[in-house]
Amino acid sequence: MGAVQLLGVQKFFGTMEVIKGIDLRVDDGELVVFVGPSGCGKSTLLRMIAGLEDVDGGEVLISGVEVSGLAPAKRGVAMVFQNYALYPHMSAYDNLAYGLRRSGMARADVDSRVRETAALLQITDLLPRRPKAMSGGQRQRVAIGRAIVRKPEVFLFDEPLSNLDAALRVEMRSQIARLHQELKATMIFVTHDQVEAMTLADRIVVLNSGRVEQVGTPREVYHNPANLFVASFIGSPAMNLLPITRGEDGSILLESGEQMIWPGGKIDGPPGRALTLGLRPDRLSLVAPDQGQISGTVHLAEHLGDETILHVQTAAGRALTLKCDGDAPARLGDLVQIGLDLTGACLFDPDGRRVQ
Amino acid sequence: MKKTSRIAPARVAQTLVYHAVMLAISAVFLLPFYWMAISAFKNNAEIFANPVLWFPDPIRLENLTALLTRDDFPFLRQFANSVFYALSVACAVCFSCSLAAYSFGCLRWRGRNLVFGLTVCALLLPGIVTFLPVYLGWTKLGLNGTYWPLIAPFFFGDAFFIFMLRQFFLGVPRELMDAARLDGASEFRIWWQIVLPQVRTPLIIVGLFAIVYTWNEFFGPLIYLQDRDEFPLSLGLFTFQAARAREWSISMTGALLTALPMVVLFLVTQRLFRQGLASSTLK
Repeated sequence: MGAVQLLGVQKFFGTMEVIKGIDLRVDDGELVVFVGPSGCGKSTLLRMIAGLEDVDGGEVLISGVEVSGLAPAKRGVAMVFQNYALYPHMSAYDNLAYGLRRSGMARADVDSRVRETAALLQITDLLPRRPKAMSGGQRQRVAIGRAIVRKPEVFLFDEPLSNLDAALRVEMRSQIARLHQELKATMIFVTHDQVEAMTLADRIVVLNSGRVEQVGTPREVYHNPANLFVASFIGSPAMNLLPITRGEDGSILLESGEQMIWPGGKIDGPPGRALTLGLRPDRLSLVAPDQGQISGTVHLAEHLGDETILHVQTAAGRALTLKCDGDAPARLGDLVQIGLDLTGACLFDPDGRRVQ
Repeated sequence: MKKTSRIAPARVAQTLVYHAVMLAISAVFLLPFYWMAISAFKNNAEIFANPVLWFPDPIRLENLTALLTRDDFPFLRQFANSVFYALSVACAVCFSCSLAAYSFGCLRWRGRNLVFGLTVCALLLPGIVTFLPVYLGWTKLGLNGTYWPLIAPFFFGDAFFIFMLRQFFLGVPRELMDAARLDGASEFRIWWQIVLPQVRTPLIIVGLFAIVYTWNEFFGPLIYLQDRDEFPLSLGLFTFQAARAREWSISMTGALLTALPMVVLFLVTQRLFRQGLASSTLK
């Protein structure tokens, strides 16, 4: 299996630069997830690695070899597409065998490789069927089989679970994780689903407008976001962002006028410095009247069983999200007091950079 | 209690009038064909009989025998020429136009839209404008009097069919081609093994359109072919009628047998024809 290295990779569509000089290394056997909002360039970047899009600047290296000028089939990569992209007029067997035949493999070897892969994915009974005679999950497994059967150095997944229903998505997610364990393969997975990113990734690459915002393990990205974009993008519900100023003594001054001590001691910088406080929804809680730092009105309560997500509008017009127990007493329209726990809180400067 | 549905009398009258009008219009259109068909089984006197004989009595099948055995109208030979001509053009069109449509619809290359625009512009160019230089070209090549000038140009595409097929090619998911590229298929192989099977029906439609167009083509054969044995039916029938103006029954038999294959083809494939017309205009 191979490592993937991107060195100053650029892509232009016309005059618009959609990939803005990305440097990244995906280690051998690693599962890296590209995550970001629609249009951030994650699929384009994946297609550039696959050779399906030209690289306009920089270099793409797979196993240390520069592959920017190589045809997709010569790069040692296999790709699983969002809509499966199985050849509709061929049986599952032929779909799996097609690439092997193109590589000039002997018929007996093709047959044994296809059956071996089918057994691994438990799709042997699907081999005579055409894609239209399969369910979405079965098609996806065949599509994964088509990637596996070629024994590539790098697997590329382009939102492969987006077309599946919720239950099947969970099942396929665990199957991909299991495959990663078994094959010890280098995998790059593109998704806009944070749950997929957090559960599958060894490392997450957060992309925004063609740039890498942060690379890190799911925990790092979640708990130590590098900037405001990552903080607001990663996590569901999203992080609460509150404007604050630095007090004379290095404390936090909230919009409500409440003062709080920063867990680390003091906030850096001069008094009056404008900052943004980032707090995960589970760090906000409902407290007894007069004991909270912020008051607000509940305007949406999402009861999810074991937990309740409360959407609160503060007196200053800020929208806050709280993750409470499933039996939280708050109802729509209630005036509530909110207590802030600054453990794990983040501070961002006006440019969106993490400062503390 | 049993419910019975009643249709309002006004509605019944409306439907009746609608169908009567449609039948009358259809009859106007069908009359020449019916006249041709019944004339094929009459002799000349019966064709021009007064009052009109709306059904041949007796049915004169000898017209058919006479047609097939005449020396001055090699019907079977010309029928074979027409079949050869129509099938060759259909194959040429399916091959060349699907390749061009694949390029315009599925590949990305600089200037693609400009070239496609120019191709579509060719639709607006009357054939008569280019006729003379093309004719002189074939004459220089010494291929006048053969089917080369009639068939070979279709191996280089046809603007209408390219435009029509491109609409279908645009509907083929791009990921299928990407998957094939990752599987190591060449662009030609992708066109042949992956994309063409997805557009099989449109391709058949284009082939059928090409057959019908060629079967009825008159001007091209008239210009390029000189030998009666080489004529397709469209031209053969015309020259026979021009030479033997009084032999209406034989002419009508020939016309009937010339039209019949296309009528049968249309009846068998009318669903595809409708689909093709709808897609070429609506897409």
